[in-house]
Amino acid sequence: MSQPLPTDPPPEPEAPRPYVSRIDRRTALAWVGVVGAAAAVGAGVVVYGRKFGGQPAVEAKGYGTDPDLVKPAPAPWPRIMTRAQLDTAAAVCDHILPAAAAAPSARALGVPDFLNEWVSAPYPDQRKDRPLILSGLDRLASRSQRLHGKAIAALSAAERTALIGPMAAAKGADLAFFRRVRRLVIGAYYTTPAGFKDIGYIGNVARARDPGPSAAVLAHLERELAKLGL
Amino acid sequence: MAAEPYDVIIVGSGAGGGMSAYHLTHAGLKVLLLEAGRHYDPVTETPMFNTNAEAPLRGEGTPDKPFGFYDATVDGGWQVPNEPYTVAEGSEPFVWWRPRMLGGRTNHWGRIALRFGPLDFKPRSRDGLGYDWPITYDDLAPWYDKTERLIGVSGAAPPRGLTNTPDSPEGCLMESAPPRAFEVFYARAFKAMGIPVIPMHGAVVTGHMAGRNTCLFATPCGRGCAIGANFQSTTVLLPPAMATGNLTIRPKSLVYEVELDKAGKASGVAFVDRKTGEHHSASARAVVLAAGSGETARILLNSKSSRFPDGLANTHGMVGRYLMDSVGLTVAGQFPAMEGLPPTNDDGQGTQHTYVPWWGYDRQKELGFPRGYHIEIGGGRRMPSMPLAGVLDSDDLSVGDELRANLRRRFGSVIGFDGRGEMIPNDDCYCELDPKVTDKWGVPVLRFHWKWGESETRQAGHMVETFLAVIDKLGGKPLGKVQTDGAKAISKGGEMIHEVGTARMGARETDSVVNAFGQSWAVPNLFVTDGAVLVSSPDKNPTLSILALAWRSSDHLATLAKQGAL
Repeated sequence: MSQPLPTDPPPEPEAPRPYVSRIDRRTALAWVGVVGAAAAVGAGVVVYGRKFGGQPAVEAKGYGTDPDLVKPAPAPWPRIMTRAQLDTAAAVCDHILPAAAAAPSARALGVPDFLNEWVSAPYPDQRKDRPLILSGLDRLASRSQRLHGKAIAALSAAERTALIGPMAAAKGADLAFFRRVRRLVIGAYYTTPAGFKDIGYIGNVARARDPGPSAAVLAHLERELAKLGL
Repeated sequence: MAAEPYDVIIVGSGAGGGMSAYHLTHAGLKVLLLEAGRHYDPVTETPMFNTNAEAPLRGEGTPDKPFGFYDATVDGGWQVPNEPYTVAEGSEPFVWWRPRMLGGRTNHWGRIALRFGPLDFKPRSRDGLGYDWPITYDDLAPWYDKTERLIGVSGAAPPRGLTNTPDSPEGCLMESAPPRAFEVFYARAFKAMGIPVIPMHGAVVTGHMAGRNTCLFATPCGRGCAIGANFQSTTVLLPPAMATGNLTIRPKSLVYEVELDKAGKASGVAFVDRKTGEHHSASARAVVLAAGSGETARILLNSKSSRFPDGLANTHGMVGRYLMDSVGLTVAGQFPAMEGLPPTNDDGQGTQHTYVPWWGYDRQKELGFPRGYHIEIGGGRRMPSMPLAGVLDSDDLSVGDELRANLRRRFGSVIGFDGRGEMIPNDDCYCELDPKVTDKWGVPVLRFHWKWGESETRQAGHMVETFLAVIDKLGGKPLGKVQTDGAKAISKGGEMIHEVGTARMGARETDSVVNAFGQSWAVPNLFVTDGAVLVSSPDKNPTLSILALAWRSSDHLATLAKQGAL
């Protein structure tokens, strides 16, 4: 029932490296059938789309009005990010949600692939996000070259923070990009079992009965309600 | 398969059609059920326990699946491919939610199962507005009792005697699951304002019920339920109807006309097979329309003959008239007091465990609007979805450990207040056939006309005021910009998916389409058992009433059949 999302990711090396897509080979080859271009990178396969600025010549089809809900197929549309955009997306993921003491990084959960799935989708909301996200990634990539003389995948953690961090205090397109991509990264991350664990979601388990809130929860509420005069 | 001629053809398999099939087959009648959508089996098709990470786009809604990837709706939503509808120029917006699946909207509905109250059946007698029903609460009460016992409804509580908020008799309801943390929390503010909070009536099996599985207190009802622990036509009504041996279901059959014999009685229906495009007829001794208020009106309007040049049963121009929906809007707040709770499982029983019934019956004059609303309140630590970042302050742009900590602290601290209010029928809300547009098979489609009245927009304004007051009392802050002008904050027509009233029942042929038993005045062996027959649209969600009315009308139909009076 589940797609291959690692629940126990390998420890991340300190040295930066290119993003290794977590899309399985069969899925990527299915896209190749559509777009006719692919290249193998590491363990995964990345489909090269057009360079930024070009929308796909023909918008792909969605999953339709009657998809299999129990065993969802991977999103059927071809992915449009370039190798550089995917690497930049991974760096943005590293900036927003790097690995924590007890939680994996967004990169380890395949969130960069999700961003690619999102901006490649043929639906109106995602198509609206597409230029915002892709142009933001491209600006970051060219700034990396200009400021550090190297690709974003080769930056140290400190260099990466110096590059991406200021976007949160920027205005205009940079801020809009950062706000949007951060929301997407948060959503993508916390919808996974690892995200549930990190945020404290303990539901989605069958129970014989619902016992209601515990004494500890009720005590917390009473303390807070008393402060409110309720 | 039962052979033709059938005793009864039922059009539609949702609440009205499903209940009609349940009763008529048990009464020994041979029934052909025509459903426009495909066959659907909740046992094998429900994505129980799937995570959003398993779905494309993390389950977010798209035009293909507007309520999210896992919503039970098949082949539909606000648009159905090949089956358009139009909204008249100059009209306020109207939207129409249609699935194309066995069981219709009962597969994804909110499972809120509130009875209409005594005042809801006699609104004109109460304040001179709207129209009275030809029946009273007492006429329908026994059918509410039977319906609750059949479908399984939670919300048992000691009788309260609240105005126009009926207590079900002992034995009709099961106890709800206990209020969750956020429900304990908000109840205190309403209590301080003198407003009651009581158990929600939810069509969910929360305790032991013979022949049914009990809720697992997990996984959203909107996906449907593979173990049949909530009410769906496809788990509760159609399987026992099939077991009688008296039911034939033909899916993918889009009915567009009721056919008449020479004597002017219904002889059957014409339909198109949505897969092959072939046209067919089926005949029976009686026809029941339960295609949903819009589609039922459309079938009647498209059934033109020399005797009924403007559509069947439309001699007095009543078909399509008095289209209603519920008034709806949401205001959400974030509450510091709910931050940092110890671990708690808020999945609950699918419906809200508690709700706020309308409390202002004796203050309508001073409030400045004639009819009320109830409040459905959602919150808690539900399974995260893409909009999760909305729990954070809008200027929070933290990253890393700080972001993780902020999310953990705020998770479950947002509460959303949904108002659902009564709409008074008016002359500007109706549907008719579009003179130009047809569906893929050449059948004219509906054109909607919509205009909220001041009764509704003022009520909407009061909803916003109330929700802001409650949020303030609880020490919270509203999320996002809140529109306080009721006329702007109010939902679109049809958006609450409670569209009802296009073939209303009445005491006289001149101002209604069917009588108090859903029997057409013009064609006595033609019945309507869906929401089209509703005369008013009280704040209470209509499904339970549609079920009870359908049962009552089907019982009348079965009695007539036994008497040879069809």
